[in-house]
Amino acid sequence: MEPPVKRNRIDDSINSITIKNQTGIDNLIDSIINSKNQPQIILGDEYYQTLPLIKVFIGHVKQPKDISKLFEILNEKLPLKYLLHLKRVRKKDILLSPVSFLNSDTQESIQEYIERNIPEIKDCFEYFREATVPLTPPLTRKQYMENLRHWSLNFHPNHYIETIMSDQPFKQSEARNHRIYMALTFEIVKWYFNIKSYEDILQSDFNAAVVVDPTINSVVTLAVDNRHEHPLQHPAMLAIDNVAKTQGGGAWKIDIDDTLKEDLKEKFKIQYGTRSGTAESPYLCTGYYVYLLREPCIMCSMGLVHARAKKIFFSLDTPLGGLKSKTKLQCIESLNHRFEVFTGFL
Amino acid sequence: MVDHMRRCLELAAEALALKEVPVGCVFTVNGQIIAESKNSVNATHNPTRHAEINCIDQILEYCRLNNIDYKLYFKNVIVYVTVEPCIMCAAALNNLNIREVVYGCPNDRFGGNTVLDVSNFYEQNYILNGNLLADEAMMLLKEFYKGINPNAPESKVKKDKKV
Repeated sequence: MEPPVKRNRIDDSINSITIKNQTGIDNLIDSIINSKNQPQIILGDEYYQTLPLIKVFIGHVKQPKDISKLFEILNEKLPLKYLLHLKRVRKKDILLSPVSFLNSDTQESIQEYIERNIPEIKDCFEYFREATVPLTPPLTRKQYMENLRHWSLNFHPNHYIETIMSDQPFKQSEARNHRIYMALTFEIVKWYFNIKSYEDILQSDFNAAVVVDPTINSVVTLAVDNRHEHPLQHPAMLAIDNVAKTQGGGAWKIDIDDTLKEDLKEKFKIQYGTRSGTAESPYLCTGYYVYLLREPCIMCSMGLVHARAKKIFFSLDTPLGGLKSKTKLQCIESLNHRFEVFTGFL
Repeated sequence: MVDHMRRCLELAAEALALKEVPVGCVFTVNGQIIAESKNSVNATHNPTRHAEINCIDQILEYCRLNNIDYKLYFKNVIVYVTVEPCIMCAAALNNLNIREVVYGCPNDRFGGNTVLDVSNFYEQNYILNGNLLADEAMMLLKEFYKGINPNAPESKVKKDKKV
């Protein structure tokens, strides 16, 4: 991308941020609901990073007719092992081995190695060279396309990953639901903390949670930050406890204001209710979506893992956040439950 | 120290008798127990009601009733718990600036040190010591996982049993 274009974009975004900060809270909520952009998933770093590279030896073949024979002999004598994402052949180039494969103490060249170990092919090459190729398989089409300039690659796109990472991971109707439920978190904070503008939100650390059962498109519970009174009562922790109450449990007595609940129902045309008590009564937060104004802290993030929530959505990053900022709990493979995390509402 | 952990093991055994994951915990100040609890996840249907969280709640209530600043109070607290605090509890204890945590056996599934070292994310950390009466703590856990968690869905229970 040309630098001048880039600079313009940065200027634009600074301007838009300044304007956005002065936006009244109601306009902000409208823009969350009506935005055309969809929430974006937060996956492990390996899906976004440029692939690590490795140096390999390439042999340039004299006669194209030798290639199939070389292909077979090399696969037997110099198998690619963990580099199976690399094609063996590109035009008249054949991938031989990683540079690190040769014993660096003896300082043997690749030519000497082949003469000594695979003499039957030693005359097939015009020359040898080193090249840099990706060490690990591409996980996304983007990584695949970016690395083709290095070498030809085997790539089997994971269609789910490609869709979920795209600009439009959700159906339009579903995306609109996500936006409405996220808007509720802003309405709750506005109601409780006298928030007037986006600036007020940015300068506070208030948070709110909305738990939704997507199978019946119904709000299971709402929760608002009480951390300044009780350091454990972050909205995610309160929401988990509120869900427990719908299942005949719960430990805390605090609940959201009934007037607010009614106001939200009317304004956003949402419904409240759960499948608790029915034959399909959910276990903990299994299958539930949790919407948070801010990224949950590490305590809350792990609480949501314990609760087995299905998807988590948040708007603003937090410095001690456990799903993006400090760590990504959704990427720890050894945990017994994993959920998907989305952001990008503003 | 050992006496406090013995009390934790008693609490864990009580939890086991109630078909809860057997974890017991006491919070102490100047060697005196000021809060004690056990895991109550099944009873509350709330998966965050770990023994440590229950103790924190007790102390917050005590501080509220007695007009004590909990932020100062927690600074002198030493926590004894039969199993290494999970990532959630470790984060909560860090948030509260607890002085020290002494645990029994490590927590290979959720440990706030073993699975993910939460101390990396906080400026101030508590002192963490483990392996106090670890065998007893582990024994209780094994006893629990031999049985069946009545509240977990069936497929999950089967997976758990293999681990």
